[in-house]
Amino acid sequence: MFKWFLSHQWKESIRSNFWQKSLVINIIIGFFMLIMFSYLILLGLFIDEILHEAFPDADTFIIFNSGLIYYFGIDLFIRFFLYSVPVIQIESYLHLPIRKSQILNFIFLKSSLNVFNVLPLLVFIPFVFKVIIPNYSGIYAIKWMLLMLVLILNNSFLLHYLKRRFIDKPFIAFAFALVLISAMLLDKFDIISLSGYSSIGLIYLVNNPIYILIPLSILIFVYGMNYSYLKSKMTLDDINVKKQRKEDSLSKITYFESYGDLGEMILLELKLIWRNKRSRTIINMSPLFLLYGLIIYPNEDMNKLGLLVFVGIFMTGGIMFNYGQYMLSWESNYFDGIIANNVDFYKHFRAKYFLIIATVIISYILTIPYLYFGTKVLIINTAMCLFNLGFLSFVLMYFSSDSRKRMDMSKSSAFNYQGMGATNWIMILPFFLLPILIWLPFNLLGIPNWGIATIAFIGIISLAFHKSLMKIVVKRFEQKKHLIAEGFREF
Amino acid sequence: MIEVKNLVKAYHGVVVLNIPELKIEKGESFGLVGNNGAGKTTFFRLILDLIKANKGEIISQGIDVKSTTNWKAYTGSYLDENFLIDFLTPEEYFDFIGSVNNLSKGDIKKFLEQFEDFFNGEILDRKKYIRELSRGNKQKVGIAAALISDPEILVLDEPFASLDPTTQIRLKSLLKQLQKEKRVTMLISSHDLNHVTEVCERIVVLDKGNMIHDIKTSTDTLKELEKHFAVKTS
Repeated sequence: MFKWFLSHQWKESIRSNFWQKSLVINIIIGFFMLIMFSYLILLGLFIDEILHEAFPDADTFIIFNSGLIYYFGIDLFIRFFLYSVPVIQIESYLHLPIRKSQILNFIFLKSSLNVFNVLPLLVFIPFVFKVIIPNYSGIYAIKWMLLMLVLILNNSFLLHYLKRRFIDKPFIAFAFALVLISAMLLDKFDIISLSGYSSIGLIYLVNNPIYILIPLSILIFVYGMNYSYLKSKMTLDDINVKKQRKEDSLSKITYFESYGDLGEMILLELKLIWRNKRSRTIINMSPLFLLYGLIIYPNEDMNKLGLLVFVGIFMTGGIMFNYGQYMLSWESNYFDGIIANNVDFYKHFRAKYFLIIATVIISYILTIPYLYFGTKVLIINTAMCLFNLGFLSFVLMYFSSDSRKRMDMSKSSAFNYQGMGATNWIMILPFFLLPILIWLPFNLLGIPNWGIATIAFIGIISLAFHKSLMKIVVKRFEQKKHLIAEGFREF
Repeated sequence: MIEVKNLVKAYHGVVVLNIPELKIEKGESFGLVGNNGAGKTTFFRLILDLIKANKGEIISQGIDVKSTTNWKAYTGSYLDENFLIDFLTPEEYFDFIGSVNNLSKGDIKKFLEQFEDFFNGEILDRKKYIRELSRGNKQKVGIAAALISDPEILVLDEPFASLDPTTQIRLKSLLKQLQKEKRVTMLISSHDLNHVTEVCERIVVLDKGNMIHDIKTSTDTLKELEKHFAVKTS
C-alpha cells in the first residue's frame, strides 16, 4: 500500500500546475535552499571554534549540549509558522478497502522526512565527526546521534499535533515564545539555569543508554496522540465540516452598500478572508510582522540603515504581501463565475486595492510607537509605507496575474494546510529586496538619506498615477485570465 | 443571436471542438447533446470566453465575445460549481450577482420571490453557506443566479443533473415560460435526452468535437436520438 501512496504523492507533486509553470520560482527556491544548506554545513564544521571563542574555559561538547534545549524550543516556535503539515487527499482513499492505520502511518512517515528534521542533521553530523569522534569514541558518537534523532522526531511530532490543534490560535505560540524568552533571561542572569540541566541531562542519557527509553517512550506517546487525534478526524463529516452556525456580523454590514457594486466587492473580499480558514490564519499571524521591529531596533549591531529599510517594508507590508500574493488564488473556487459574470475587472481590482491600502495604513499606525527608538525609525517607516501603498501594491497586483495554482479555501479540515509553508515566504523575498536595491547605490555614493527620500518619492509618484497603474494591472489580467482560469480548474 | 465561425479548440494539438459554422437565432432554444468528451462544456466555455479558441470566433448579438465584455450584460450562465462563491450564503451571493448587474436590493428581493417554489424552502433563510449545501441545492442557486439579470441569452450546462424530480419538472416549465414570454435565447446541454427534447426546439449532437446532427425537434426526435446513441455504445 505504501508503494501506491508514494507513487500517488509523487505524481501529485510532479503533475501539479505549480511545478510545470513556474520554472523561475523553482530555480529561486532551489538557489535559496542550496545557500541555506551550505551555511548550515559550514556552521556544523566551525561551531566548535565559535563556541570555543565564546566560552574559552568550558568544554565545547558540554556547551553544545547545554544550548540544545533552547534550540529545540526555538525550533518548535519556528515550525509552528513555517512547517506545512503534510497533506494527502484522504477522501479518495476512505471508501477503499485500506486500513486507516495505513493511511495514517503514511502521513506520519511523510512528515518525519520533513526538511525541518533534516536541517539540524546538517549541523550535527559535521559536529559529530569533528568533535565527538576524536574526543570520545565512535560508539559514543552513535549513541549521541541516536538520542538527537529521537529528540528531533519528538519535536517534529509534538509540533505536528500542536499545529493541527491550534492552527487557529497562534497566540499559544506567542505565549510559548514568551516563556522561552523568560527562561533564556533567567539563564542569562544565572537565576535558573535550564542550559545547565540540558547538558547534564543529555550527557547522562548518552552515558546510560538504557534511559534513552525515556525520550523514546515520549516519542511513542506523541506519535500515539497524533494518531488518535487524526483517526478521530478521518470521517467525511470532519473533512467536510457541516456545522449549523450563527451568521457572522459581516452579513449585517450595510456600510458598503452606499458604494454600490464596488462596496459589494469590498465586502466580498472581507468575507472571503474572514470565512476561510486559510486566509484567516494569515490575519491571525499578522501581529508577528509588527513584532519584528522589537528584534531589530534595540540591537545596536543590527540598527543599520539597510536593515531598517527591510524592517520597514516588512512591518508595513507584511499583511499586504500575504494577501497580495494569493489574491487571485484565493478566488480559485469561483474564478469562472467572476469572469463569466458581468463583473467589472477594474472595480474588482479596486476593491482589492482598497483592502491593501487599509492593511498597510493600519500596520503603519501600529508601528508608530517604534518612535521610541528614534525619529529615524519613524521616517523610514513612513517612506516604506508610501512605497508599499503606491508602488509595491501595484507590483503585487501586476504579478498576481501569474497565479495558476488552485487553492481550496473551503476545506477547513485538519488535513489541509497547503500554501502556508516556507516556500511562500521565499517567493515574496524579491519584493522585500527591491527597496534595498533602490537604496543601495545612494548608500554607496555616501548619501543614504537620499535613498530613503527616493523610495518615498517613488511611492508618492505612483500613488499620483494610481489610475493608470491600475489600468496596466487590469489589462494584464484580461490578457492572462484564460490561463489563470485554466490553472484554477485543475484540482 | 449567436454566430459561430470556423471555431477550433485544441489541447496539445488534439482538436476537441471544431464547428465550421453555426447560427443560433434570437429566441431559439438550442439543445446540445453528446457523450462525455464530445465538447459540450468546451463549447459553452468558449461562448462565455472562459477559454481561448485556437481559431475562429463567436459573435454574440454582433459582439465578438473575446474582444469586449459588453455581452455579459445580457448573458446569464451557469456551468458548474466553479461559478459559485462558496463561502457566501445564497442571499449574499444573489446580492453580489445582482449588484454587479446593477440591480437594486428591491429588484433582487422581487426576483427571489418568484423562485420560492423552485427553491422549495431549502435555499433562503437557512443560514448556511453555499459550500454547505448539497449538490442539487447548489445547482438551484447557480441557475437562479444565471437568471437574475433577466438575460436575453441563457447558457446552462447540464442544468437537470443532480436536481430532484420535482425541481426538474419545475425547471422545465420555467425554461418553457422564459422561451414563450421573453423570447430568451437558450443554450442547454444535457445527457438526459428526455428533458432536452422536451425543452429545446433544436437539438445538435456533438461527437468528438464535431457537429454530426442538427435536428429540429419533432415527435420523432427522441427516438432518433436514442437510436443514434444506442448504436454508438454497441
